[in-house]
Amino acid sequence: MADTPVVQMLGISKVYPNGIAANRDVDFSVNKGEIHALVGENGAGKSTLMKILFGLEKPTSGAILIDGEAVMFSSPMAAISNGIGMVHQHFMLVPSLTVAENVVLGMAPRKSGIFIDFKEAVRLTEEYAERFHFDVEPNARVADISVGMKQKVEILKALVRGAKVLILDEPTAVLTTQETEELFRQLHELKSQGFTIIFISHKLNEIKELTDRVTIMRHGRAVGTYYTDSISEQEISRLMVGRDVVLEVQKTPAEPGEVVLLVENLQFVNEWNKRMLNGISFDVRKGEIVGIAGVEGNGQRELVDILFGLIAPEEGSVHVNGVNIADKSQRELRDMGISYVPEDRMTFGIAGSASINENIVSDRISSPAFNKGPLLNMKAIRETSQNLIEDYAVLCKSGRQHVNMLSGGNIQKVVVAREFSADPLLIIADQPTRGIDVGATELIRKKLIDLSRQGAAVLLVSADLNEVMELSDSLIVLYGGKIVGYFDDGQWDDVMMGEYMLGLKKQSDEEVKRACHA
Amino acid sequence: MLDRRMTQFNILRGAVAIFFALFVAAIFVFLTSESPLESLRYLLIGPLVSVKNGAVSFNMRNMLEVLAAMIPTIFTGLAVCVMFSANQFNLAGEGCVYVGAFVGGLIGVYWDLPPFIHPLVATLVAGVVCAVIMLIPALAKVILGASEMVTSLMLNYVMLYVSMHFLNFHFANRSRGATMTHDFRESARVFQIVPGTSKLSWGFIAALILTVIMWFFMYRTRWGYSIRMIGINESFALYSGMNVAGMIIVSQMIGGMLSGMGGSLEVLGRYNQFLWLSLPGYGWTGITIAILARNNPGAVPLAAFFLAYLNKGCMLMSTKTHVPSEMIDIIQAAIFLFFAAEQFLSGYRQKIVVKTTREELLKQGNADIENGGE
Repeated sequence: MADTPVVQMLGISKVYPNGIAANRDVDFSVNKGEIHALVGENGAGKSTLMKILFGLEKPTSGAILIDGEAVMFSSPMAAISNGIGMVHQHFMLVPSLTVAENVVLGMAPRKSGIFIDFKEAVRLTEEYAERFHFDVEPNARVADISVGMKQKVEILKALVRGAKVLILDEPTAVLTTQETEELFRQLHELKSQGFTIIFISHKLNEIKELTDRVTIMRHGRAVGTYYTDSISEQEISRLMVGRDVVLEVQKTPAEPGEVVLLVENLQFVNEWNKRMLNGISFDVRKGEIVGIAGVEGNGQRELVDILFGLIAPEEGSVHVNGVNIADKSQRELRDMGISYVPEDRMTFGIAGSASINENIVSDRISSPAFNKGPLLNMKAIRETSQNLIEDYAVLCKSGRQHVNMLSGGNIQKVVVAREFSADPLLIIADQPTRGIDVGATELIRKKLIDLSRQGAAVLLVSADLNEVMELSDSLIVLYGGKIVGYFDDGQWDDVMMGEYMLGLKKQSDEEVKRACHA
Repeated sequence: MLDRRMTQFNILRGAVAIFFALFVAAIFVFLTSESPLESLRYLLIGPLVSVKNGAVSFNMRNMLEVLAAMIPTIFTGLAVCVMFSANQFNLAGEGCVYVGAFVGGLIGVYWDLPPFIHPLVATLVAGVVCAVIMLIPALAKVILGASEMVTSLMLNYVMLYVSMHFLNFHFANRSRGATMTHDFRESARVFQIVPGTSKLSWGFIAALILTVIMWFFMYRTRWGYSIRMIGINESFALYSGMNVAGMIIVSQMIGGMLSGMGGSLEVLGRYNQFLWLSLPGYGWTGITIAILARNNPGAVPLAAFFLAYLNKGCMLMSTKTHVPSEMIDIIQAAIFLFFAAEQFLSGYRQKIVVKTTREELLKQGNADIENGGE
């Protein structure tokens, strides 16, 4: 394979309107026919760089060369016509249309120039699927297919549009182990047919397994490009964060106390009449971390929403310290000692255009400690906030800075600092480290373990299998709104988990009942 | 550093917006006036100076009239600030000014209270009545999910015509040719600060005091904090355990209360009887003021002054020269356009951001090198 660069990005800088310098003088080059990893902490500028390459963002300065020719894409359309394709982390598919319709969306073949030729669309999809050995069903509705299948549709979409260079933004984040393996097989296949792949990921083992070369970014700069064979995971991680990160979590054995959270026979049917929860029963005891694993969309969202009183179950009950939480307001739940790290931090976790100080005390603004008569005790708020900022290493200029000026990891630190400092009895942590950098992830995991060992009951919901497997004292696997597996022996691995998560295996009712200790 | 430059930028943007608005106004003046330069002089500095026989002097009377005109609009401006901060686009301030003025006026006519106490009580009762009226759009929003913008807009006319009904059939002074109440009692009058015809009453001081109170309320109390957080992100406020529904109701009640108080102080300070037969327009002006002040109560008096000054200038222009007084609507619309357009001067804003960030990176880079590099 000749080392001819197909994509060259030279001296790319990007300053966003909020003053964040996402890219600083980045040089990035990808050779034809290679799988090239782009790694870095969240906020390191990977996504921005790829958005620039795909024409979604305009660089503040710098040049892009495709096959040696200078180009400047004003829109994704321009990038696509130059052979660049991108598969976003959050799929850009229309759920109500079929696979074939999605594949040809915006470039549909026509009959007599007016009507969409659906047969031709199906034929086209089948032709491409066959050529690249993608087993997709062209006539299936996208809403009905699995996440792994949706990803294949996304890749097909790019290929049909003539992509020669594929950008995959954290493609494995939502996949099970088995699906990931299949994806890797397909990417190798594409590579052998001469396609070039840019693979964005946080997962170092995948990078080692899949890619030829790796470019590491830190703080908006490219800190180096290496042959993947010649660099170890530890070295990559060191280059990413500028220090050695212990990826293994240190934790002492749990000493579970009395039951704090008791969930009994939850049933829930969503607005599209799909049964999302089907008889869920488990408990979480003082001093232990219970993990909930499962492919997204198997009831985790609904379970957490019920636990924090955002929706009501059809049947079943939730007790915290023996008190039924039905019809309790969020204020009452918080006063009962429940803390909640929400999955969607931008919607629930923060008020973006308010300061860090204002965000970090939002759950306790009415407490006597922060009020002097009718007025707020600004000094106490500032001091509390300052202590938490230091304690949780929030990278900011001052507590008066607006939260939406921070990077994703630091925003999550603000959320977590607030939730963990509320002296909680029960912590519901929903995807606490999704999409944030290694440093912040490590800090949050460590705090979570500390809190549980100090006596908090922790319910951890995470799509990151490594995270649930490493942090949890016992593990629940959800599939199709049911508990299909309960493990409390610490003897689990990703292959076994994957089988339960995909519904290939299922424990007996007796085994699952062990999830309730009372 | 970026924060300071952004403040400077926002001030600059405001100034440029006003400049462009006045420029647009000038074009219309040149199109409509026979003596455009004289007209412009009245518009821009008319409220400040008077020219008599070639001698230029400070025009105290006009200036006091400008200040007096600020009394109701500071109140409505504050009211809109509170409601808009909570993301409640309640437009019933207009009707509340009318009802507040009517209720305050009736108390001024019929209740017998000592001086000073009398207007105070009248104004407070007017405020409470309007706060209760605001429960209608607020509860409709919270319980039924009805858009407060629609209900409050329609409520204005309900308030106007119900009040008019009572004025016409129950409280009108039949000995007068026009529809109005009986005269206010002497004890109900809000005293003038400066004797004369300027009508600058102690209501002005009350408005300034309320401004300070509302600033503290919004930025230094837990309730104001909750209102602002709800306005920024309602889901976040709910999740944080704030009483979202309660504060949505409270914010609109405060808005009604302030509007009603403004109406009451206005009539008791300016007139001898209640004689409004249509909506006075102060509520609408309050919306302009809140937008100019960017929902910050502290900036409301400044914005109110600006609009009152402009209004006076337009009135002088239209009486002294032949420019229609509707000109003020054109100028206001132009300011609105330039202020509301977030993208206005955004290219320049981006330049400031890039420059500041570059400088900071340079400093940071140097620090990195001093610390042994990366």
